[in-house]
Amino acid sequence: MALWPLMPALALAISLGCDKPTSTTTPPDGASDGADEQVPANAEDPDPQGRATLLRAGKVMSATGVSYSPGAVLFVGDELVAVGAPGDVEAPKDATVIELGADAVITPGIIDTHSHMGVYPSPGLSGLSDGNEMSGPITPYARAEDGFWPQDPQLAHALAGGITTAQILPGSANLIGGRSFTIKLRPGARSAEDMRFAGAPAGLKMACGENPKRVYGQKGGPVTRMGNVAGYRKAFEEAVEYQRKWDTYRRKLALWEVGETDSRRANAAPQNSKRGKPQPPPKRDEKQRPEPPSRDFGLETLVGVLDGDILVHMHCYRADEMSLMLEFAASYGFEIRSFHHAVEAYKIADRLAANDTAASIWADWWGFKVEAYDGVRENAAMVTQAGARAIIHSDSATGIQRLNQEAGKALFAGRKAGVEISDEQALKWLTINPAWALGVDDQTGSLEPGKAADLVVWNGSPFSVYSQAQLVFIDGELVYERGPNSRPRSDFDLGLRDELRGAP
Amino acid sequence: MKRMNRMTHKILPALVLLLSPLLVPAALEAAPPSRGAQAEPLPAAVFDKLILSNAKIEVGDGTVIEGGSILIEDGKIVRVEATTITNVAKSVTLDLQGKLITPGLIAADTTIGVVEIGAEDSTHDDARHDPNPIKAGYDPAPAVNADSTLISIQAIEGVTTAAVAPQGGLISGEVAWIDLLPGDHANIVAASGVSVAANFGRAYAGSRAASLAQLRQAFEDAKWYRDNQRNYERNQSRELVAHPLDLRALWPVLDRKIPLVVRADRASDLLALIELGESLSISITILGASEGWKVASELAAAKVIVVIQPTENLPGSFDTLGARLDNAKLLDDAGVTVAIAHFDSHNARNVTQEAGIAVANGLSHAAGLRAITLNVAKAYGMDSEYGTIAPGKVASLVVWDGPDPFELSTWAERVWVRGHELDMTSRQTQLRDRYMDLEAFAP
Repeated sequence: MALWPLMPALALAISLGCDKPTSTTTPPDGASDGADEQVPANAEDPDPQGRATLLRAGKVMSATGVSYSPGAVLFVGDELVAVGAPGDVEAPKDATVIELGADAVITPGIIDTHSHMGVYPSPGLSGLSDGNEMSGPITPYARAEDGFWPQDPQLAHALAGGITTAQILPGSANLIGGRSFTIKLRPGARSAEDMRFAGAPAGLKMACGENPKRVYGQKGGPVTRMGNVAGYRKAFEEAVEYQRKWDTYRRKLALWEVGETDSRRANAAPQNSKRGKPQPPPKRDEKQRPEPPSRDFGLETLVGVLDGDILVHMHCYRADEMSLMLEFAASYGFEIRSFHHAVEAYKIADRLAANDTAASIWADWWGFKVEAYDGVRENAAMVTQAGARAIIHSDSATGIQRLNQEAGKALFAGRKAGVEISDEQALKWLTINPAWALGVDDQTGSLEPGKAADLVVWNGSPFSVYSQAQLVFIDGELVYERGPNSRPRSDFDLGLRDELRGAP
Repeated sequence: MKRMNRMTHKILPALVLLLSPLLVPAALEAAPPSRGAQAEPLPAAVFDKLILSNAKIEVGDGTVIEGGSILIEDGKIVRVEATTITNVAKSVTLDLQGKLITPGLIAADTTIGVVEIGAEDSTHDDARHDPNPIKAGYDPAPAVNADSTLISIQAIEGVTTAAVAPQGGLISGEVAWIDLLPGDHANIVAASGVSVAANFGRAYAGSRAASLAQLRQAFEDAKWYRDNQRNYERNQSRELVAHPLDLRALWPVLDRKIPLVVRADRASDLLALIELGESLSISITILGASEGWKVASELAAAKVIVVIQPTENLPGSFDTLGARLDNAKLLDDAGVTVAIAHFDSHNARNVTQEAGIAVANGLSHAAGLRAITLNVAKAYGMDSEYGTIAPGKVASLVVWDGPDPFELSTWAERVWVRGHELDMTSRQTQLRDRYMDLEAFAP
């Protein structure tokens, strides 16, 4: 549900500015020439839910594989209604029409599958460090949502980089770190649930390789990669056992309930409409009612994985290790939705494609540990070439501010090495592919009618070092417009970073 | 003391001849290039000079020469002219067909060659792990490994030169200056002791006030030791804060022969360093300088050079609350000499992206290029030999495959490091090539 107008001043500026180009056609120079220009708060918005907005730009890249030059995007309220050539997208009479100019490029909102914003915020103070529950290597009961600090100043900087959706993950200290949660970068949140991406499935963070064994090597293990895998196995065996206990209970309960007569069930029907509270059968022997097993949120999380309801996001660098983990997951009947970091994904891109497992990778990080030693710039291009889903992720509050440029580096490196990659394919690394990995590709990640109006207006190719997000819309709301005093300020910023209001 | 390795590099004729059909030996240069002429390798002795002609030369100081040419001999730039250089004996000419050539990029504050893998301590030679925080005499130059994979990985993307700086402590040691010559153990270190590296903030005793006092004491003891060496030998010395060899390493700083390169971010720390520099009469370069813009006029007046990473715009600690993307522009506007770095040695090559981001946030393009060439050389006092395309300077040069080296689509096409043209391969390109076709592997 849209919270329009979250930023009344900006909203009004746009609706008044419908007949002139916005500032997006002029290159940003960082100068603040109108710092005190304040538009009075928008008193009344007659019909926020039905507001129609038409954007026309030099180019619209839809992330479906099709781009329009020039192009137009129409959304009503929080939903995209039409995308195409300007002549094919008709604006309703009352629509706000924004002419963005020939240089402007519209893309879907950028999606990052790997962020620790809020759980490892800036400043990196010990009291705010809430991303790794290092009390043991298996903590599926932990939730990133419960450690999330919505006042993290990083969030606004990510928004200014065109990020509209991000997965907040626990860290990689643990073999099983806990549940991730997916956010929309709506400003003004007072708690995690204000940013929660409604309807997004939960994810589970798991980690391969060096980090767990480094963290627990002197603390009871795992000490080796053998211990790592033994740890996952033990956890999933417990989950299987837990699942079996509940299946047994449910079966017993069902049998117990079958003893009821049809007439009594019919009589009880009206009361039964209160879900979850069936009327006790008069003649039932309560002493015989099966006892439910104890509940365990961590094991429920793993059962969610086994059932395919919770998506596995696995930190894993080396090709051999990823390959073994695919086999491990298959042996328990679950899928790994995305490997993260996957520095060696290019070595097993064919296997990733065969397993329908995505690779969330950096453009060029390498060498900070030996499992990252074999990084190559062409990783994303080679994964794409093999038919697997490549995703450019950040794992960094700096990198998340220009994920578009990271994709640019990976795109041009691939082309230079002779891999044919189109701009449209590279855009998918930032949009529909991460949306798929997070299980929200039916709601966002491309510009298609019916999807959320999550989009970014850039002042040039999103793959240029000079391009910057000029406007960012989330669910149809304008949540960011480049310019002085525009970046949302968290509570932390107040009184500490006041001088930065005019900063780009 | 700055010790230059007087090197006797020669252009390797074998390498040169591998290059391209555009190479024209001096004897043939009046005639159109002929493939037949290349087919027959010419005797090595024939050429000892290389002329790069028909280039768009971005000198590095802001000037641009269209259709210019560069004469290289013995690893040095001998002539730079706006026309084609001809009639040079024993020369070979390479027609760059109007492509852009810039000075080789210079990476500030790296551990290239002294750290291979971040998390593997056995691959580190970047710090002297003794208890004394004053390690000024630690010289990493002998530890620089020319076989490090980082060298070609940076160099084939245009980084030809790097400052190799020791880490840790309050005063970390001496900075080595390297030419990124892969595998060339004898020549990789161009100079050692080009500056002394230090840390500020809470580097010593958990307090910035203590750090400042200890820095000052180190320099005062260095002076005292120089004036009282005999007393010291006779054991008639006051207690010194560091070993005499570490104090001795500060003398060239005190003599203003080399700068003190200090990492600091908070505005108050920058002012404290300006004051320290003035009171000791030493040259100071500041690394980081996240809040430099707040004290830009003071930095400019004190002629302090700053080396910044433009993408560092987050309040990662209370020392960097004022970090902002347009720091470079604001400092440059105030007249500060600004150098740009990407403070991650494994990806020092991304310094072009950093420069581009600074330009996107207001810095001029010319200042951006200067910030990753000449101004880095200045920051370490090496600008007499590095940083621009000018006669007398080291022939480290990059030809780009596009008009703008900052743009993500532009790559280094050919690279010369001290006159040697590089083979454009690295461990990464080999890994890439091995796995480019997965059909060769079991499914």
